Amino acid sequence: MSKNLYGLIARFETPASVMHAAEKVRDSGYTRWDVITPFPIHGMDAAMGLKRSRVPRFTLAGGITGFTLGMLMIWWMGAVDYPLIVGGKPYFSPIFAFPISYELTILLSAFGTIAGMFILNRLPIHYHPVLKADMAARATDDGFFIVIEKDDPKFSVEKSRSLLEEAGAVEIGELED
Amino acid sequence: MSASQAATSVSPAADEPSRLANASTFLVVGVLFTAITAAGAMFADGHRLAMSWLMAVVFWIAVSLGALVMVLLHHIFDAGWSTVIRRPLEHWIGVFPLLAGLFAPLVLLSLFGQHDLLWKWMDHEAVAGDILWVKKSAFLNPTAFVVFNILFFGAWIWVAGRLRKHSFAQDDDGSVEHTLANRKTAAFGIPLTALTLTFAAFYWLMSLEYHWFSTIYGVWFFATGMKAALALTVLICLYLVRKGVFVGIFQTGHLLNLGNILLAFTVFWAYISFSQYFLIYNANVPEETFWYNLRELNLASGERNSWWDVGLLLLFGNFFLPFFFFLGNANKKKPARMVAICVWILLIAFVDIAFNALPSIKQANGDAIPFGVTVFDVTALVGIGALCFWSFFRSFARTRCIPIRDPRIVESLHCHE
Repeated sequence: MSKNLYGLIARFETPASVMHAAEKVRDSGYTRWDVITPFPIHGMDAAMGLKRSRVPRFTLAGGITGFTLGMLMIWWMGAVDYPLIVGGKPYFSPIFAFPISYELTILLSAFGTIAGMFILNRLPIHYHPVLKADMAARATDDGFFIVIEKDDPKFSVEKSRSLLEEAGAVEIGELED
Repeated sequence: MSASQAATSVSPAADEPSRLANASTFLVVGVLFTAITAAGAMFADGHRLAMSWLMAVVFWIAVSLGALVMVLLHHIFDAGWSTVIRRPLEHWIGVFPLLAGLFAPLVLLSLFGQHDLLWKWMDHEAVAGDILWVKKSAFLNPTAFVVFNILFFGAWIWVAGRLRKHSFAQDDDGSVEHTLANRKTAAFGIPLTALTLTFAAFYWLMSLEYHWFSTIYGVWFFATGMKAALALTVLICLYLVRKGVFVGIFQTGHLLNLGNILLAFTVFWAYISFSQYFLIYNANVPEETFWYNLRELNLASGERNSWWDVGLLLLFGNFFLPFFFFLGNANKKKPARMVAICVWILLIAFVDIAFNALPSIKQANGDAIPFGVTVFDVTALVGIGALCFWSFFRSFARTRCIPIRDPRIVESLHCHE
């Protein structure tokens, strides 16, 4: 089994104990690890040392692209490709190009947000080693888990196991890749 | 005092009067500055002076209506996070009787003194031959004006009074009935406030140029008021934190949420203001465009006037600056930055009111008077504002600083990011 080792999984009894354990794992300097719980736990992001999501950057990029595209589109269509005077207005003005630019800002912001989310969380994942562990089934009910991956630079089967034990794990298993 | 109240660590604001600014200081400043403004009648032009008073009182009414709507929204959404900031707002909205009294002189002077002091249509004989007035005279006549104004202030005093009464009573008996009663008040209070503030904006500001009409005008007035009220809320809450009253109560989460709503209303203000401009620009009908022409050009010479610059100031100062500020998440969590932007928003909201009101005063050749701030603009704004703060601090000292037995108070105290 250890040939295909993916990492260690540890079960905790309560939200509080998994939160304190997460703080210990964070402070030990691990980077490739995760917490799996049946429901969101308030304050877990900080306990895991997670930074703020980078999704808003994708949103902003989408918004700026949308606004620019909208302005360019109206300018190109109305002033370059097919110049036509409508209602005595100039061929191009940002005023009447604004509604369409605004709509495109929102549309591409939404696209950017969704695309950014999928790029950053790498979903959909059709297979994950945690799904093979029997005890992980309790993550949908009453189990609180921490998974430390083998790929973590600080990982060692013995040290990581003892860290999780010290942190209050009630059950520890090895995950097969 | 019941046992459960005694057990809590949150003491009534009344126990610690020394921490906060003295209400009577504001009374002295308010009376002094409003008196100086009134004394201006001896030196200054009557129309311009009355306009100073109108802009100041309408600005503070807009702020107070925004505060009223915030409390109504809190109840209609059964919101949790905003419970602690609801209390300062409840103290603020006790100001409507005072504002009614401060608005009354304008109505009385127009009725019994100089009819065209502010609203030219009040002078019946002068406008009798104007078909655009005749068609609107069912709405734009002194009787309807007085009746509607009584209805406006009556509605606001009544709705605000109900909200305050139940919230303060809940501090004593802890009954959930008060929360439910206020939810009902919110259900009818929101449409009532929306309609009254819309028609108030029509009467007070839009009818200054009675040839002009814009159905979205009430929404603009609401947007400006909400923005200013939210900015004031941030300033008051941070002041209370600084004075120790709100330490451990007003969290970064509250500040962030208020910043987020401010972002929403910054966009909303721009959306409404742009929609109004855009529809008039696109339709290009002279009955509507003249209002914007006055705010862009000197009609005789065709050159841009000072209102063009004010318009650009509003575009960049009232939209782009706060918009990009509030987009940054970190900005909304830093009290010092929030204070700076909120003071700016309050100032620019007044400029927004001035942009709408002031050009209705004309020069001899029919052009709008240039943009300018007089001493009496400042004294009226400060004087009426100080009286509002007097009312606020007087009310504040009488109750607990947060609604301590509200069912959602614990949720609100744990409002983290």
